[in-house]
Amino acid sequence: MSVQLVFLLAFGLAAVWFGIVVFRTHSMVRSALALLFSQTAIGAMFLVMQTEFLGVLQIMMMATEMSIMAIFMVMFMMDPGGLGEMDMKHQRKLSLGAGILAFAGATALALLADWGPIATEIPDAGEQVRLLGFELLGRSMLIFESAGLTILTAMIAATAMAVQAANRPEPAAPDRGPDRGKQHGH
Amino acid sequence: MAIELIVTLIMAAGLFGTGVYGALSQTNLVMIMMGIELILAAGLLNLVAFWRYLHPEAIEAQMFVLIVMTVMAVEMAVGFGVAIARFRSRGSVEMEEARELKG
Repeated sequence: MSVQLVFLLAFGLAAVWFGIVVFRTHSMVRSALALLFSQTAIGAMFLVMQTEFLGVLQIMMMATEMSIMAIFMVMFMMDPGGLGEMDMKHQRKLSLGAGILAFAGATALALLADWGPIATEIPDAGEQVRLLGFELLGRSMLIFESAGLTILTAMIAATAMAVQAANRPEPAAPDRGPDRGKQHGH
Repeated sequence: MAIELIVTLIMAAGLFGTGVYGALSQTNLVMIMMGIELILAAGLLNLVAFWRYLHPEAIEAQMFVLIVMTVMAVEMAVGFGVAIARFRSRGSVEMEEARELKG
């Protein structure tokens, strides 16, 4: 068993285990942290597969993304600490069946397909980054620029959506008595 | 035999299955987004494994990884925008309470 295989197995099992923990724990902060560890293990798998640039990018990007997600979890959840052990699941059997079916189908494909010869020689890390740079700013420039523009559009759209919601009239609420209007005083 | 490739693909299948379960079973919008993140992460892992073990000469594969990462970032941004809008207008991001979206 090669060293690469051992590390791939270890980080892969860690990624899957932390992925499962995301939906097992009642604490939302723990969920976000488990997802962060899962994504970091995937980044470590990238490093094991000798794609240094993508591995480091994955770890840095997910660390930021999951930190933001943890903040949102605390803001929006009714029970972010999980102390009340609220049940936040529905259609359990369907979800479990779909998850197992997806896993079984993808595993069967991985095992049964003929993958052909395996490459042993790959460009070193510096050469990979150089080639990727030429690819991004050469032949694939339009796709790369489109991706940047898509992120910008999503940022503006998300901000506009969030700000607009504050100006909407409140949904019909039950009458709370004569002093209700005082809550809206500025 | 491509044992490293197969092991990586099986791990990606595990992440994919977990993500599908999470996206379908959770009632909270942010938790559903976590499931989708896991599904996309499985896609990332497959792309890198195919590049590394089958076609290391095709550097375009790494560009596809960057595109999937972009999709993850966009999904987060739009998802949180929807979550804020929903929370401000309804006071909750529980999808069980969003039955009016069915139309």
